Amino acid sequence: MIDWTWLGGHLDAIAFRTWQHVYLAVLAVAIGFAISFVLALVAARYRILYPPISALAGFLFTIPSLALFAALISITGFSVVTAVVPLVMYTLVILIRNIVAGLDGVPTDVVEAADGMGLSRRQRLWRVELPLALPLIVAGLRLATVSTIGLVTITGTISDAFGGLGYFILDGYHRGNFLTEMYAGAVPSILLALGADFLFVRLQRRITPWTRARAGEVGAAA
Amino acid sequence: MSEPGARRAAIVEYQHVSKSYATARAARGAPGAVNDLSLTVPAGKICVLVGPSGCGKTTSLKMVNRLIEPTSGRILIDGTDVAGRDATELRREIGYVIQQVGLFPHQTIGANVAVVPRLLGWPAARQRERAEELLALVGLDPALYRDRYPAQLSGGERQRVGVARALAADPPLMLMDEPFGAVDPIVRERLQNEFLRLQAELAKTILFVTHDIDEAIKLGDLVAVMQVGGHLEQFAPPAEILSAPASGFVADFVGADRGLKRLSLTRVSEVALQPVVTARVGDAAGEARARTFADPFPYLLLLDASDRPIGWVSQGHIPATGALAAALATPMSPLLDRRTTLKDALSMMLDADVQTGIVVDRTGRLRGVLSVEAIAAALRPSADPGVIAAGTSTPAASGGGS
Repeated sequence: MIDWTWLGGHLDAIAFRTWQHVYLAVLAVAIGFAISFVLALVAARYRILYPPISALAGFLFTIPSLALFAALISITGFSVVTAVVPLVMYTLVILIRNIVAGLDGVPTDVVEAADGMGLSRRQRLWRVELPLALPLIVAGLRLATVSTIGLVTITGTISDAFGGLGYFILDGYHRGNFLTEMYAGAVPSILLALGADFLFVRLQRRITPWTRARAGEVGAAA
Repeated sequence: MSEPGARRAAIVEYQHVSKSYATARAARGAPGAVNDLSLTVPAGKICVLVGPSGCGKTTSLKMVNRLIEPTSGRILIDGTDVAGRDATELRREIGYVIQQVGLFPHQTIGANVAVVPRLLGWPAARQRERAEELLALVGLDPALYRDRYPAQLSGGERQRVGVARALAADPPLMLMDEPFGAVDPIVRERLQNEFLRLQAELAKTILFVTHDIDEAIKLGDLVAVMQVGGHLEQFAPPAEILSAPASGFVADFVGADRGLKRLSLTRVSEVALQPVVTARVGDAAGEARARTFADPFPYLLLLDASDRPIGWVSQGHIPATGALAAALATPMSPLLDRRTTLKDALSMMLDADVQTGIVVDRTGRLRGVLSVEAIAAALRPSADPGVIAAGTSTPAASGGGS
């Protein structure tokens, strides 16, 4: 059922497509996070701007991906920009809402104590509010990354130059459901998503040690 | 305490301070308004702002470190208007303690205590040293607590850390907003006592907000009773609040048991003690016996050679001749210190089922006796409140003795 000879002859291609898959996903999430971070800070500071920002991100999320690729090709051609822009757009709604929720979740007494002790607004944000928002921010990144890894496969519809591991899925389909090649795209991309998920869980535990410190664990921490 | 400038204390003056809120905001539960508040907190004293919710006590407190800006009027710290100061700089010089503590959950206890020193740019080693010194000061073993997170502490422990954090940069002024309001009564009592012990050592100027009149009376050198709408009803030492409430509101607020509350506020040293017939072990019994007949109280208090009380000998048991022996003395009345509160003194006397307590000085020598009648007399409404108030400030003035 699996054509091992084909697999053996395409290891280089699989490695390249895996790398491309990771590259597109990381690029999209990184750009998406940078945009979301700024917009979320603006929304958190000027609450009146949060509903429109959130609504816009939500609207972008609803645009069908294939339609978006088609629309972008006419503007940016068959470039990496065409592939990355939709991926970035789909991360915004998740990331913005999680960052704002994380900042909103900072207890009011902690904010009051920070102000009362003389932290400036910026110090309060960077030393208190953002660290305390980290669990939700990381959860947002985790969700955005996993969903982006899924979406990267569709960028293969723009041209053979993109798609990461999705290239194999589309190419196998065009060859009349050549299962070996389709699996060569599907299985690694699933593994990538699971791996990214696992990494973010580890990262969160690593950078938010206080979330595991509860009264019951005094002995362990002392 | 080895910090330079330790024992500094600030003078806080409210000059016609008002804070009003738009009706719409007030309806949404905005903090209480303040109406033309003028009062001066002397350096090194605890001033308690007390009143029902909505009386503006918290607003008054937060205007000092500019978390709230007054609508009109001025607040001076050591003569300087706080409105002219940079807000963050000002706040770093004022200790701030709130009911929910507000420790940073993501930082260790050591880091939490060192927040202000870090803001002030102290070297890391000095920050650490200061945090450990303060944890020890509030009764938390630094080695045990330094590296824990706030979530691992009990409510009482967290509040101690909150106090340590507020003291970190040795501020001359502390603002405390219901600091002991969120802990159970037993822990609260302990924290209050530790707080008074700390204050006796540190002598900071402290503005303290509470809705609990008992706490206000226990902790305050001065008590400001506020009324809904932000009116200051009375600003006086606690004894005066209790003995001479300035208005019906204050009288109601301190409660019908204000006479009893005064018991815990008045110390033995403030009540005139009564003399008693005494004799030392080895004195001639006959002469001592004769003296008991000249006194309405038919007992002799037997003392040792250093004038320390041994016990009572009733008139009938004193031999007509020979010397007085220690074995004649029957069980004692409770021994009272001059610093014992009348409440504790009365309680000890009731426990021992006696009418008098024996008051001794620090070395155990007899000063006189305190009777239940004398306590009752001290509380009688007709007693001049001025005498009691004066006694509070100068305990030595009215303390009698034999």
